[in-house]
Amino acid sequence: MVESKLILHRRKGYFWSTESKLAYLFLLPATVFLLAFMIYPIINVIIMSLYKTNKIGKLVEFTGSTNFSDLFQQKDFWVVMLRSVYWTGLAVAVKTLFGLILALLLNVEYKGRKVARTLIIIPWASSVPVSALLWRWVYHPEFGLLTHSLRVTGIWKNPPVWLGQPVSAFFSVIWVDIWIGIPFMTLVFLAGMQAVSKDLYEAAVVDGANTFQKFIYITLPGIRDVLLIATLLSTLWTFNDFNTIYLMTRGGPAGSTHILITYIYEHTFAWWKWNYGAAMAVITFIILSIIALIYAKVYFRREM
Amino acid sequence: MKRQKRMKPVLIFWTVIIILFLLFPFFIMVATMLKSGKEVYTIPPYWIPKKIALSNFITIWTQYPFARYFLNSFIIAAGTTILTTLLCIPAAYAVSRFRFYGKRLLLYMYLVVQMFSPIIVVITLFKIIARMQLLDTYVGLILVNTVFTLAFSTWMLNGYFKTIPVDIEEAALIDGCTRSQTIIKIMLPIAAPGLVTVIIYSFIASWNEFMFALTLVQSVGKTPLTLGLYNFVGRYTTQWEFLTAAHHREGAGSRHRGRCGKGLILTLS
Repeated sequence: MVESKLILHRRKGYFWSTESKLAYLFLLPATVFLLAFMIYPIINVIIMSLYKTNKIGKLVEFTGSTNFSDLFQQKDFWVVMLRSVYWTGLAVAVKTLFGLILALLLNVEYKGRKVARTLIIIPWASSVPVSALLWRWVYHPEFGLLTHSLRVTGIWKNPPVWLGQPVSAFFSVIWVDIWIGIPFMTLVFLAGMQAVSKDLYEAAVVDGANTFQKFIYITLPGIRDVLLIATLLSTLWTFNDFNTIYLMTRGGPAGSTHILITYIYEHTFAWWKWNYGAAMAVITFIILSIIALIYAKVYFRREM
Repeated sequence: MKRQKRMKPVLIFWTVIIILFLLFPFFIMVATMLKSGKEVYTIPPYWIPKKIALSNFITIWTQYPFARYFLNSFIIAAGTTILTTLLCIPAAYAVSRFRFYGKRLLLYMYLVVQMFSPIIVVITLFKIIARMQLLDTYVGLILVNTVFTLAFSTWMLNGYFKTIPVDIEEAALIDGCTRSQTIIKIMLPIAAPGLVTVIIYSFIASWNEFMFALTLVQSVGKTPLTLGLYNFVGRYTTQWEFLTAAHHREGAGSRHRGRCGKGLILTLS
């Protein structure tokens, strides 16, 4: 470790040495900020989830775990929970698959590869709110060019009203989430693949390996860490994807595209049921903490 | 090797197909933003505009408050960037250079905090901001945005600081620099790429922020572009030709994302 050099001579009793006082001083502003606007609100949300609240979010009466047991008895809650799970699972799986395929394609050397790589980034470079609204227009049933093009070319003679029916709305929205996520996956996988030594492939060719074997025995193990981290990050982001859903359908039609995140928001800021919003936020907090801890473990295992 | 050569055109073909497929919405965007209102709303729709209408770009600036939105977005993003940078430099320096009790815990906290969804805190953060009387103000949004850019920025800058040899700093200290002087005169210039990444990251993140704007902003005077576009879809009878034109403008603002992505990958690998 590089940093140890400077302070080596005061190793003993370093806690109150000037060095560490200075460290705390330097860390003070950022940490206070995070405590005030991140940790304190989280504690508040946990408290709120144990109370009954009125319409403006004032705590009225301590009710213990009533909010949670109320939620657990609602069928809608479980439907939304389940949907969050397969929303995340499906989207991450498709993103990873697409990312892998594209990264493999872009890992081959040819002229114009740089152009291809730049073009790939575009869906990611335009912001999520913008993309979501753009797709809403693409999906437009009468004036949208998607429906029209599918009809004219005969690929799909009678496409659904994309965002108008529960099933098609779910798949239309999840596709947008996937579409936004593909570039990140591709770039990260590509970076990982380029770090794999070329000698390994040459040795494999000498040993008579085919393309598939090279992928399974060299590429995949080579990008294992990158794959793991990217998938974990993507899981978090997908689970947290508020913008795509809210901007495209706002959970509709008939609540068919709500996931936990949008459900919390609607509960709190549309229906003013703060206590249920808070209770679900606590549940989300627990789920995210678990994923984040796994991530931190993986990360620190490599880093330290 | 020979077989690989034969495969190449096939691979390129598929790459092109996938890219065209992924860029499909942008073709629609370009087609729409060049059409006039009449042409956009014809059934059946068609791809090539009959007459190219560049007036959309003028209309969104003159008849709708997009100039205002643009300015608001800029103020909020710039404020967030400045605050984030000011807070993350000393923190990243401390984490990368000092050894102290609770360092590991702190690193964990910074890593875990950036994983949290804003939704967990938005409920109570709304109440806190309301109590501070900062609803519908730039300051409120800047504070809230900074919370979510700070952890990642500190983490990233820490990575850059770590790569700078301590010897350089020691030399400066011996020559009579103070700690803060070494940071400003030595560390920051060397870690300039990292600093630029932090600046671009926090600017773009807050430029693209939507949920907090939706929650904390009420008046047109404080509405950033993302929320403005969203309201535009709902409030006026949606005029998609203007919307796609406005998208185009906003897109111009976030072209640097590619760079930020590089930084992200850098911290990942």
